[in-house]
Amino acid sequence: MAEIARTLRLYWRLQRASMRGALQYRLNTVIGIATGVAYQGSGFAFVWVVMHTFPSLAGWSLKEVAFLYGLRLTAHAFYVLPFSSLFGLEFLVREGELDRVLLRPLNPLVQIIARRLGVGQLGDLLAGLVLLVIAAPPLSPAMIAFCLAAVVGGALVEASFALVLASMSLRTLNGFALWTFVDDLFSRFGSYPMSVFGGATQWVLTFVLPVAFVAYVPASVLLDKTGALNVPALVAYGSPLLGVALFALAYQVWRHQLRHYQSAGN
Amino acid sequence: MIRPLAGMARIGLRFQLAYRSDVIMTVLALIAQVFLLRMVWTAVYGGSGQARGLTLDALLAYLSLANLQAFATTPVIPRIAHFRIRTGMVFFDLSRPTGYLSQMAAFQVGHTFGGLLMLAPAVPVVLLVGTITPTAQPLGYVATLSLGYVISVMMSLLICVIGFWTLETGAISLLYRLVSHFFAGTMVPLSFFPGALGVLAEALPFKYMGYVPAAVYVGHLSGGQVGRAVAVEVAWIAALAALLWAVWRRAHRRVVINGG
Repeated sequence: MAEIARTLRLYWRLQRASMRGALQYRLNTVIGIATGVAYQGSGFAFVWVVMHTFPSLAGWSLKEVAFLYGLRLTAHAFYVLPFSSLFGLEFLVREGELDRVLLRPLNPLVQIIARRLGVGQLGDLLAGLVLLVIAAPPLSPAMIAFCLAAVVGGALVEASFALVLASMSLRTLNGFALWTFVDDLFSRFGSYPMSVFGGATQWVLTFVLPVAFVAYVPASVLLDKTGALNVPALVAYGSPLLGVALFALAYQVWRHQLRHYQSAGN
Repeated sequence: MIRPLAGMARIGLRFQLAYRSDVIMTVLALIAQVFLLRMVWTAVYGGSGQARGLTLDALLAYLSLANLQAFATTPVIPRIAHFRIRTGMVFFDLSRPTGYLSQMAAFQVGHTFGGLLMLAPAVPVVLLVGTITPTAQPLGYVATLSLGYVISVMMSLLICVIGFWTLETGAISLLYRLVSHFFAGTMVPLSFFPGALGVLAEALPFKYMGYVPAAVYVGHLSGGQVGRAVAVEVAWIAALAALLWAVWRRAHRRVVINGG
């Protein structure tokens, strides 16, 4: 327990330092955030324009789709804000920087993700929270708690795929191209009611690449639409746990890969 | 005059081919995007046969084409110019006897050509997903598309030149890409844009890179509309040429060479 508290304390300190570093380039930060909002905004503008003509998307109203969109975006932001530094892992390995990380008395993964805070991704968080708050249905305290758990769970689902694919670069396999693609699939397909895709695609996006569990399944719970899901309601209510389980699994893969890491330096 | 420009175009082509794995990922993302659009639009159309004068089949064909076009014409030169201005390498571009703008334009054309080569294997897939059939107006399609491409290159040249003032165009060019793709109608045909958004989209030149040629292809625009579109495109090109010339004359005197 004391070990975890110490790790969290150090993580917070490292993160604050990197935040200070990023804020040195103030204009760049502002532009980065604005671009993030514009990027996500243009994605939602598509939904808005389409649903201006057609009020229903597979039985979901514009407000409901907006809520789903906001939930996914917020979960995505909570994954990408800390974990975007994993993108630099390849560089750390190639330059032998990882050796230094391994020598320090702090969990290597914590050190790596504390290297840089994805300040630009604050735009995603902003856009996501705005959509989430504006489009939220009236929720009971228990449902608000479920919503928070869903955000964390969704973030962990995306984070576990990122971690597994990134850890491949510890052993010369290049998982980054695949990671970019998987990330793209999560972003592209995650914000729509899965029944839009129907049949095989919906099945794949639920059980093979669990895009549905990031936001669609929990949003169905919060909007009282579990009847239309392709999983039992009980599973839907437990959906935030999937993120925890997947991340625990991903962390084991990461540890295993790290044990077999061979330094590139001399 | 022609030989150095052909050289620039060749470099642009090689540049595109050098980043093969990037292009493969982009092509996969393109296919995913067309697939997503197909699913979403099919879901909202439901049973209704037509909306805003477009059948679902025509709409799906339109979307695939508009996305292919947008992918192929995505400008690369703002990124290149940004890098070369930041590092001071733009000095070498300016000291060549061939004009800076024509060098950049030639680079872009070569790059686009490389993109088309890389795109070739994906075209059948996209055409299949989008169920595209041959067009009844091949001439109108080629005319509106080629003029639209000229407009697109001139707009990206404008962004390159703006870099001489701001010295930083990274965010501007990303924003440009988002705005231009959206107003080009790659996800929604312009005829679906409501109210003021529709008026704005009609007034902006971005529609000539996506909506107009693709709508001509599927027959959503026809007859006199095609002729009018071509005339307006020519007018845009003339206006942009004048603007570019005026801006370039001032930019030239402002050049800052970084480094030393």
